[in-house]
Amino acid sequence: MEMFRCSLSHLISLIFLLFHSEAACGPTRRRLCKMRTFRIWDVNQKVFYVSNNQLVAGYLQAANAKLEEKIEVMLTESNNAFLGIHGGKLWLSCVKSGDKIRLQLEEVDITDMGKNKEQAKRFTFIHSQNGSTTSFESADNPGWFLCTESEGDMPVSLTNKPRDATKVTQFYFQMEPQC
Amino acid sequence: MLILYVMIVGAAAFTIQPEEHTVAARNCQFRGKHFKKYFRVEEEPVVLRCPQARSASPHLNIMWHKNDSGRLVPGDEETRMWVQDGALWILPALQRDSGTYICTVRNASACDEMSTDLKVFENTEASLPFISYLQILTLSSSGLLVCPELSDFTHNKTDLNIQWYKDFAPLDQDNRKSLSLGGTTHLFIYNVSVEDAGYYSCGMIFSHNGTRYNITRNIKVRVNQKEEEPIPVIVSPHQTILASLGSRLTIPCKVFLGIGTKSISVVWWTANGTTIDSAYPSGRVTEGPEKEYSENNENYVEVPLVFDPVIREDLNTDFECTVTNRMSFQTLHTMVKEASTFSWRIVLAPLSLVLLVLGGIYMHRRYKHRAGKSYGLTTVKLAMKIFKSHPIKIKEIK
Repeated sequence: MEMFRCSLSHLISLIFLLFHSEAACGPTRRRLCKMRTFRIWDVNQKVFYVSNNQLVAGYLQAANAKLEEKIEVMLTESNNAFLGIHGGKLWLSCVKSGDKIRLQLEEVDITDMGKNKEQAKRFTFIHSQNGSTTSFESADNPGWFLCTESEGDMPVSLTNKPRDATKVTQFYFQMEPQC
Repeated sequence: MLILYVMIVGAAAFTIQPEEHTVAARNCQFRGKHFKKYFRVEEEPVVLRCPQARSASPHLNIMWHKNDSGRLVPGDEETRMWVQDGALWILPALQRDSGTYICTVRNASACDEMSTDLKVFENTEASLPFISYLQILTLSSSGLLVCPELSDFTHNKTDLNIQWYKDFAPLDQDNRKSLSLGGTTHLFIYNVSVEDAGYYSCGMIFSHNGTRYNITRNIKVRVNQKEEEPIPVIVSPHQTILASLGSRLTIPCKVFLGIGTKSISVVWWTANGTTIDSAYPSGRVTEGPEKEYSENNENYVEVPLVFDPVIREDLNTDFECTVTNRMSFQTLHTMVKEASTFSWRIVLAPLSLVLLVLGGIYMHRRYKHRAGKSYGLTTVKLAMKIFKSHPIKIKEIK
């Protein structure tokens, strides 16, 4: 009798938990929760925005501030991350073009990338903390770093000369409040 | 009559011609509005760059016109505006110059148009919120402020001198808090404190045809807290979990989030590198609800992995619990093992019980039998003792 009462109370608490889970954080919401939104700006105070379907870095005044692109981060392994914009619809990828590596924006379902390691590589950036700043290296192209030009309103790109004075490869990367 | 007809047609052709020209100009593909607007103050030089052709190339023909008037800029009588390397120079800008400007970019094969907005404000303190750039410094570290969007005026300038102001007071070169880096547009700030937040302005002098113009930029500086978060640690599960096939199983992933201030972490499970909801669309294996709690000021979060039921396939699956916060990442692998010892115990438990009972009965019987025998012996011995002791007692009485 005692045992029966115990299992019944377990059952009740289980039902309660199941209902609670649906209300609080369903499976789709959990997947979204795995993405984190970060504010990114380079050490020269330039922020990212989209112009002519291209990611550019520049200075935004007052009302222009709403153009600023926040970065969606999905960590895949220690120090490896996918970087996206537009709430995780477009993802930054690194594609070989001649002897250069080009930065692209691709519309993909990034959650599918976890299954295909080879496909995922062009979307993967290795982030390293350097004091209070962070740099992003293409996992597919060692030595190529995410960069902005020292001048404003120019495309965000990749460089293999991170010490070049005209390129900025160090970024401030701060997490936005939880989704 | 014929002459009159020719004249009319000729006149019509003559009047239509310029319109055809504008129609041809309008045939350019309109690439839309440039979202970034220019906010400037009056009496200062303004340079509008065509967003379609940021770096002017010699093969490109760039023309500008203002949307409200439709006329080309610069107009014939205009001396304040000119096009230089494809960019529209307005020197100095007046409030009436505010409006939408359209640039037309032509090369041998294509023609594109794009529009951009300019708003010229009165040069007063009230305009500050509408013209300021936001820049961020981090508390207790050093940082840079940059006087933005001056590149059109700083080209080929070797003696660049930027004057900086904080809340309208000039920042002297000898102050200990900041340093205007010579030849650059940068202001270096040492050891940022809360007081460093506020309105800054920076400016330079630009000379053109012997006239000196001020160019100012306004910056609103925000000071952010340093991000310091404890790194989360996965406390459980164990590397192997014993379970019996066909039964329900819950493996909790318990993560320590720190003492007092807790880190904002995300915990999730994967099966062979795939998220649980996509690996098990049927819902046989699910992630339970996240539960956050504190034990003696230690913060924990727990996410259970629920199998309903465990099947043989699970024994060959690599289950992984992952926790991330900010930029840290930790995983813990776990495998489900069939609890073979458990099923033996099920068989052994009643068997040992039976053996115990049987052993007990045997022992009891044996004991009973032996106890009966020994009782007889003791009585005999006792009788003999009594029998032997009596003569002695008698003797003593005597």
